[in-house]
Amino acid sequence: MNWGTLRLLYIHELKMLLRARRTVVMSIVVPALIMPIVLVGSKYSTDRRARALAETTYRYVVTGPEAGRVRGLIRDNVDGTLPQFLPEETSAADPARSLENGLIHFYIQTSRNPADAVPVVQIVFRGDRDVSRNGSERMSDLLRRARRNQADVLLAARGFPAGPNQVFPVEPESIASAAQVTGSDVGRFLTVILVMLMFTGGSIVAMDIIAGEKERGTLETLLTTAAGRAEIVTAKQLAITSVGIFIALIQALNFLIYIRFRLIELPAGFAIELPLVSILNLLLLFLPLAAAIAAVLLMLSAYAKTYKEAQLYFFPVYLLGLVPALAAVLPGIRSRSAIALVPIANVSVAVREILMGRPDQPMIFVTFGVMAVTGIWLMRTSARMLTREDIIAPGHFEAETLLGGPGLFRKRVLRWFALMWAVIFAVAANIPQLSTFRAQLLFNEVVVFAGASLLMIKVYRLNIREALSLRSVRPAVWLAALIAIPAGHVMSFAVFRLVNTVIPAPQQLLEQFSRDFIPKDMPAWELYFFLAVLPAICEEIGFRGVLLYGLRRKLKPVELALAVGLIFGMFHITLFRIVPTAFMGVILTAVAVMTGSIFPGILIHMGNNAFAVWAADSGLALQSLRWSDYGAAALIFALAMWIMWRTRASSSGCP
Amino acid sequence: MSYPVLVRGLTKTFYDESRGEIRAVDGIDFECGEGEIFGLLGANGAGKTTTLRMLSTILTPTSGSAAILNHDVVRDPEGVRKHLGFYSAGTALYPRLTARETIEFFARINQYPSSRVPERVRYLVDRFGISKYADVRVEKLSTGMKQKVSLARTVAHDPPIIIFDEPTVGLDVLNALEAQQTIKELRDEGKTIIFSTHIMSEAERLCDRIAIIHGGRILDCDTLAGLREKTGKHYLEDIFVQYAGRPAE
Repeated sequence: MNWGTLRLLYIHELKMLLRARRTVVMSIVVPALIMPIVLVGSKYSTDRRARALAETTYRYVVTGPEAGRVRGLIRDNVDGTLPQFLPEETSAADPARSLENGLIHFYIQTSRNPADAVPVVQIVFRGDRDVSRNGSERMSDLLRRARRNQADVLLAARGFPAGPNQVFPVEPESIASAAQVTGSDVGRFLTVILVMLMFTGGSIVAMDIIAGEKERGTLETLLTTAAGRAEIVTAKQLAITSVGIFIALIQALNFLIYIRFRLIELPAGFAIELPLVSILNLLLLFLPLAAAIAAVLLMLSAYAKTYKEAQLYFFPVYLLGLVPALAAVLPGIRSRSAIALVPIANVSVAVREILMGRPDQPMIFVTFGVMAVTGIWLMRTSARMLTREDIIAPGHFEAETLLGGPGLFRKRVLRWFALMWAVIFAVAANIPQLSTFRAQLLFNEVVVFAGASLLMIKVYRLNIREALSLRSVRPAVWLAALIAIPAGHVMSFAVFRLVNTVIPAPQQLLEQFSRDFIPKDMPAWELYFFLAVLPAICEEIGFRGVLLYGLRRKLKPVELALAVGLIFGMFHITLFRIVPTAFMGVILTAVAVMTGSIFPGILIHMGNNAFAVWAADSGLALQSLRWSDYGAAALIFALAMWIMWRTRASSSGCP
Repeated sequence: MSYPVLVRGLTKTFYDESRGEIRAVDGIDFECGEGEIFGLLGANGAGKTTTLRMLSTILTPTSGSAAILNHDVVRDPEGVRKHLGFYSAGTALYPRLTARETIEFFARINQYPSSRVPERVRYLVDRFGISKYADVRVEKLSTGMKQKVSLARTVAHDPPIIIFDEPTVGLDVLNALEAQQTIKELRDEGKTIIFSTHIMSEAERLCDRIAIIHGGRILDCDTLAGLREKTGKHYLEDIFVQYAGRPAE
């Protein structure tokens, strides 16, 4: 490494960034100015709303046979109990109409339960109007207090010796200090926030640093100088890291200023204790984290041929980077486990332990080592990319761009799947109408997987039989597929258990997933259709059809199975499902590669999902199986794969 | 005899998913002497740029060898680049640097002795007549001005060997003639120059020897007089058609 050249290149990169006035203004200055404006505006509107609600006189009506009694309760309890609540009873012939027309804010309807003559009180309000909702909530609080007071009075009248609150007083007491509690809370999200800031901050310079240079033609100029690839990549990496850290520090400073000027209110009992050792430990973790994120961004920029293409890749990479950073949110995870080997997740967990005042020093060093190795590996990969002809000299392949067809499809297939992934994610997060069980499945399976696949076939004029591997197979393959269904399912469950030992999924999460996964009120045929038949057909068309076809010439069979399987896993966004689903994806891809046909995969996929539905419905506890049972399943599965291997199609792509 | 540039059996194969294996450069041999302008004459897609990119170490050869002042392009790429200036229509300038900063940056990065950089920058600013706009950012310069700055940055570290890959593409007649004049002057200073073009008149006017490249192979390599004698044609255009018109052996 020539340090003089490295220094020269590093200064050059920073100079280029600082001279891009628009970039600096739009990415650093404007957010720094806008943030306080947004916060001041938000605080002003919140305070104003609170003031307006506090000063409002809430007009209401009381109706029904118990109206008099309720009026008495309100009168007796309104003073002093809820100081900022100004209720004013009025009269209305038709309270519902008055509420609708805004003449009153809510009305109280009283009745008497015919069975035991106990009075029933109902508060009717408009949930879409702030004042109405707020008034009803306050009135509800007031009446609950009144009820409690009433109960105390009745108990005392009947000779109850003490107040109800004194029967067995419960007083919780935390032995953790305020600093430890705060550290635990802050530690859950600190790494996520830092990862977000470093990704977004670093991206300001990263998108342009190689992809932009390629587009302008300056990369070729730079590559013909005496500077080595390692020096070029290291300088760019340092520039991204510096900018990422700088932006993160600016934002942190911003937050401190906002807190100082009370634009952000800290929760009660908030206390952070950071002795020097903790600060050094945090630095030891955050510096390689920043370097690794910079390396990811650099690799992305090196891979993309243009600035625009780099921007396209940024969002999925950014989201993927956030997933491991959430590890500290999961309960029960400690540094002293296999999580220490998972980049970013290890930092997230170790940071929380430091902030809680319980740093695990040896594991902090292990985490540092893992992050440093990750960063170096990513940097070396970026440097290797600068020697790839198709990346630095894309002009050789321009014909496909002009002609279209299968050649262009093979270049674009991953972009299509990145887009499909983003669509599924964005729709699930933003369109509530498509979040129901049926709507979500229909959208994802029919529109995204099958629809996009058929669109690709049409746009790139692909031969549908070839693109979807629509070939018949020998009878022995069907037999092997049937054998593979239960064995494969048991094996994927074993994979889930193995993964769970590294990153344990909370039981609550699993139960909730199980509840959402299989709705209770759905007829069995519909359940099997939505969870087994539909995904098997549509996902196989997408993954073992067009995706496999698009990647087939680029990768060797084993790489192909791993790549398609991994992409398949990434589409199952729930964290704990990614690895087992990716495992299943690898199997299904291997089957498609060996048989040269999509059909056996459809059968295995359908059978696997149907088996899962049946197991959940019938209460079959796969977690109670012993590891020897999983071994037996693996043997049966291997037999099925062997049959397929022996009868593999000549055009399957296998040697 | 030791040549500043020595190329033997140089081959570059690309793999393209739809077209399969493409031999962009197919086992070419040539050598260039000191103070010589060596021309690579070929149509678009003949393999000129790929050859020059291998010589400048941007691309790695699939097989064969090439050496610049005895530095092998595979084993010692940094040694090669230190002694090489590379100019092509694709090698752009940093738009946010001034002309002076550009020359200084490329002199330093190519390890020109640090103490002599200011003097070298002053010399090049004068020599290429860019003193009027030396402190203006490149993004604000005209095409002709940029071309002068590009030439200056190519020779900023005073390299003994300079590659010009279609240097006059996109230039008007006057700027093209000025570029040709500069190339001649550099040859007269003793530089070894490899010059690729598809413009016959340029090759006729500039090159001491011409290699006719077609389909990734060098079909012949000689002086213009030698080529005329071999083909019986006078104009280089006719000579080229005679070679390129018949299939490569």
